[in-house]
Amino acid sequence: MKSLDIAVIGGGLLGSAFAYGLSKLNRSVGLIDEGDNAIRTARGNFGLVWVQGKGRGMPQYARWSLKSANEWLAFSDELGENTGTTVGYHRPGGFCIAVDEEEFRANLKILAQLREEAGDDGYEYEVVENPALANQLPGIGPEVPGATYCPHDGHANPLRLLRALQEGLDLNGGAYLPHSCISRIVPLGSGGFELYSGGRLVAGCDKLVIAAGHGAGDLAAQLGLAVPVSPVQGQIVVTERSVNSLAYPTNYVRQTDEGSFMLGPSARDVGFDLDTQTSTLRNIVRQCTRAFPYLRDLRIQRSWAALRIMTPDGFPVYAQSAQFPGAFSFSCHSGVTLAAVHAQEVPQWVLDGKIPDAYQCFGPKRFNVPAQA
Amino acid sequence: MIEHSADCQVAIVGAGPAGLAAACVLADKGVDVVVLDEQAIPGGQVFRAVEKVSTARSEDMGILGTGFSAGLQLVERFRASGAVYRPGVAVWEITSAHEPELSIGLAEKGVAQMLYPRHIILATGAMERPTPFPGWTLPGVMTVGAAQTLLKSSGLVPDSSVVLAGTGPLLYLYASQLLRAGVTPQAILDTRPPVSWHTHALALGALTACPGAMIQGLRWMHEIKKHTAVIANITSLKAYGKDQLRSVSYQATGQVCDLTAEVLLVHDGVIPNTWLSMSAGIEHHFDPVQQCWVPDVRGVGMTSRDSISIVGDTAGIAGAEVALLQGERVAREVLGQLDSPQPAKLLSTKEPLALRRRRRLRYFLDRYFPPTTQFQLPPDDNTIVCRCEEVTAGEIRQVAARGCMGPNQGKAFTRCGMGPCMGRKCAATVSQLMAEVRGMPVAEIGHYRIRPPIRPITVGQLADMPIRRESNDLAEAGASIYDTLAPGKNSTS
Amino acid sequence: MPTSVSDRNGSMFQRRHSINQPVCFWFEDHEVVANQGDSIAAALLAAGLTQFRRSPVSGSPRAPYCMIGNCYECLVEIEGQGSVQACLVEAVEGMRVRVVSGSKSEARSTDN
Repeated sequence: MKSLDIAVIGGGLLGSAFAYGLSKLNRSVGLIDEGDNAIRTARGNFGLVWVQGKGRGMPQYARWSLKSANEWLAFSDELGENTGTTVGYHRPGGFCIAVDEEEFRANLKILAQLREEAGDDGYEYEVVENPALANQLPGIGPEVPGATYCPHDGHANPLRLLRALQEGLDLNGGAYLPHSCISRIVPLGSGGFELYSGGRLVAGCDKLVIAAGHGAGDLAAQLGLAVPVSPVQGQIVVTERSVNSLAYPTNYVRQTDEGSFMLGPSARDVGFDLDTQTSTLRNIVRQCTRAFPYLRDLRIQRSWAALRIMTPDGFPVYAQSAQFPGAFSFSCHSGVTLAAVHAQEVPQWVLDGKIPDAYQCFGPKRFNVPAQA
Repeated sequence: MIEHSADCQVAIVGAGPAGLAAACVLADKGVDVVVLDEQAIPGGQVFRAVEKVSTARSEDMGILGTGFSAGLQLVERFRASGAVYRPGVAVWEITSAHEPELSIGLAEKGVAQMLYPRHIILATGAMERPTPFPGWTLPGVMTVGAAQTLLKSSGLVPDSSVVLAGTGPLLYLYASQLLRAGVTPQAILDTRPPVSWHTHALALGALTACPGAMIQGLRWMHEIKKHTAVIANITSLKAYGKDQLRSVSYQATGQVCDLTAEVLLVHDGVIPNTWLSMSAGIEHHFDPVQQCWVPDVRGVGMTSRDSISIVGDTAGIAGAEVALLQGERVAREVLGQLDSPQPAKLLSTKEPLALRRRRRLRYFLDRYFPPTTQFQLPPDDNTIVCRCEEVTAGEIRQVAARGCMGPNQGKAFTRCGMGPCMGRKCAATVSQLMAEVRGMPVAEIGHYRIRPPIRPITVGQLADMPIRRESNDLAEAGASIYDTLAPGKNSTS
Repeated sequence: MPTSVSDRNGSMFQRRHSINQPVCFWFEDHEVVANQGDSIAAALLAAGLTQFRRSPVSGSPRAPYCMIGNCYECLVEIEGQGSVQACLVEAVEGMRVRVVSGSKSEARSTDN
C-alpha cells in the first residue's frame, strides 16, 4: 500500500494535469490509473485549445477557457524544458468553418449571443467570408460561405501532453500506479482515505482528487457527491502525412506537427460503445471535404471513437465533498484547453481545501440532482 | 468493371487453401458464395500464382515442389465451382457487432463499396513474424517469404551471395527450392538454440503421424547442408550499409564473423494475420507456445461473433493441408448455420484422422523451431522496432520502465504502431518488450487496439461510398456543433 | 532520388526466364519492361531498383521487406494516387509510377 499526501484517481488529461501541478508544490502525490484497455478518453482527443463559442449561458466558463488559453504557452514551455517532451502548442488563432449557409447563421448567432452575455469581458472574434477566407485557408472549398476567426484559439498534441505531464510527475518524485482501477473509497475517521481496487488496498491518502472520467459518478457518490456525467461518442479520422499545409486549427480539420490531418467532429449517443460507425465516418469525411476538397486524395491512416465526458449543460463539474473535506471531484470534456489551469490553478485549491467562490458556479448543485449512495 | 451484387449468402475473405476449399463445398451446395481476394489470381500465399507457373513457367513446378503443385488441383476445382471470385479487392473493414446489418467494407479499382453477406468466413492466412535487428530496414533485407513470393509470382531469384538467417520450416523449404533453381546461398545463419532431447523425442511422434512430410524435411536439410554452410546457434545478427545492404555480421561460437552480401533473407516463423479479425471485435488470446495472438475459436471455426467464422492459418498456424481440410469442415458448419441459424450449436468437434495427424506434426514443429529471442527482445536498444515511425527498442523499454502499462499507452506516447502498417510489423515485438520490462506475461500486457480501415482507402473513396443505412448522429446538417455539444442548453433563446 | 533502373549494378534479383509477355510501364522518366503478372514491386526489383522511397521520419532509404502487403515499405505513386503498395498492384501497359513524397517538408514540384 502506498501512503500519499494526495491521491489523484484517473490518469487521463485531468488527473495527469492535477497530479503534475500538485507534484510541483512539494507534496507526495500519487496518480492512480487503470489498465491499457479501458475507455481512456484522453487518447481520443482532437487537440484543440479552444475559446471561441464557449460559455453560452455561463460567461465564467468563457473566462476560464480564455484564462487557460492565455497560460498555455508558458505551461507547455515549462513542461518541455522540464521533461524534454515538446507538446507542439501553436496559437495562430482558429477558424470555426461553416460548410453551408444555415450552419454559418447558427454559428454567428451563438457568437453574438456570447458577446452580449459577456459584455466587456468578451473575447475577440472576426467574421471572414469566402473568398477572402482563402487567404488564410488556401484550398478552402468553394461552397463554404465563411468562418469565424478567434485569435485566442490554438492547438497542441494531446498525446504528447499526456506523456509530458506523466513524465513531469515522475521527475518531481510523484508516483504512478497503473493497473489499479479504484472501486471503493473508504473515508477514515482521522480524516484521510483508503482506496481499494477490488479487495486490494492500493493507497492511503490525506486528500483525494477524483478525475476518473466516466468512473467519476460512482466514486463521487461514495463521498456524497452527485457528479452527473454521461458519454457522448465522437469519432475522428486521421490521414497520412501530406504536403499540403493548413496553418490554422479549425473546428473540422487540423493538421498535426507530423503533417497528417485530423478530421472531425461528430456526436452520437450510444452509451459506452467504442466502435466506429461507417456512416458517421463517412459524414465526417463528407463535411471535411466540403471544407477542404484537397483532403480527398489523402489515404485514411486510422480512425477511432472516444467517449467525451459530458455533463448535462456541457460545462465542467468541479465539486468538493462537504461531508469529507479534502475530497474533490473534477469532470469536464475540454481536458486539453483547460490543462494549463488544471495544472497551475486547481492544485492550490486542493491544498487550500476549497474551491474558490468565483468557481462555485461549476458546482454540481446547479443541477439539483440527488446523489445516489 | 463487372457489376456485383451488394448481397450474398456467404462472403469468404482470402483465396488460399482454407478459403478456396470452403468456397468449393459451399458452391457445390448451391450457396451464393463470394470470395474476396487481395491478389489478382487465386492461391493465397502458399499456392501463389500456381496456375501461372504451371502454364507459363512449368519447369519451376519441379523447383517449387509437390506441396505447391497440390494447389493446382484445388484452384482448378475452385474455378469450376460456381463461386463468385472477386480478385483485386481490399477488405478494409467488417462493421461492428453493434450495427444492425453485417457488412464488409471493400475497395476495388479505387472505388469503395459495402457488401452485405449473411455470414463471413475469414481465411486471411498468416504473415511472417517481424524480425527486428540492427540494420533490418536497409534495402536488401527482406523476408524469406518475400523472396519466395518473387520466385512464385515472377520467377525471380537472388544471386549466390544471398545470405539466409533465422529459423523455421519455410526457411529450409525456400533454401531447398533455391538449390533446385541452381542458386547456392552463401550461408544459412540458423538462430535456433540447441534442441533438447525432449524435442528430439517428439520427432518420433511426428514421424509416425506424417512420415512423408518428415522424411521430405530431412531430405531438404541433408541437401542444404551438403551444398551450403549452415551455421548453427548464431546471435547478434546485424546488417550494414549506407543506402542498401552491403554486409552482414553475426556471432557464432564466440566469434564475430562478416559476410559481404546485397540480399539478406530473414525468417522467424509465421503468425496468424489477425488484423481483420481484431478490427471486427472478435476475441483473441495469446498462445504461449507459438508466441502469437490467435482468435478464440470454438467448435468448428466459430468465433465470439455468431456470423463470422475463422479458418486456416488465421485460426492458428497449422499449415496448408490442415487449412484445406478445415476449410471444408467449416463450410459444412456454416451450411448448417445458414439452414437453421442458432448460436454456436456444436457439431461434433472431433477432427478426422488426417487432421489429427497434421496436428501432431505441427506440435513437433512448434517446439523444434521456437521463435528467436534476439528478434522477440532485441538486445541492442538502438534497434528500430517500429519501422514506420522509427521507434527504437530503447524508447519502448524506457516508457515501459516509466510506468507505461501496455502497447496502446505506448502507442499514444511514442507513436509506435501509428504508421501505415498499423503495427503489423511491430505488435509482436512491442508486447514482448513491455512484458519483459514490466515483469508481466504477454497475455496480460495485451495488444494494440486494431480499428478500421485496416487497408488503405482515401478520404474521397469513403466520402463517395454509398451506404444502405444512415448513421444515428446527433448533429443534424446545418446545426452548429456548439449546440450539439451542450445538450442541455436552449439554443433558441 | 531513386537509383536509376537502367543501372544494373545494384540488382538484387534476377529473372530465371526471359520475359515472354512484356508489359511496359513508366517509373519516373524510365521505361520499365515487366512480365505479364509481375507486381510493380517485383518488376522494379528485377529492373535493378534498390531504393523505393525515403522514410518520412528520418529520410532513411527503404525498399520492399515482405512483398505481400503487410510492411508498407514499397509505397509508390501510381497514376497520381499516392501511397499505393507496389507489391499489390499488377503492372499494366502504360502505367505511370512515381516516387512518393510523404512529408510536409518535402514539397514536390509536379508538372502534371
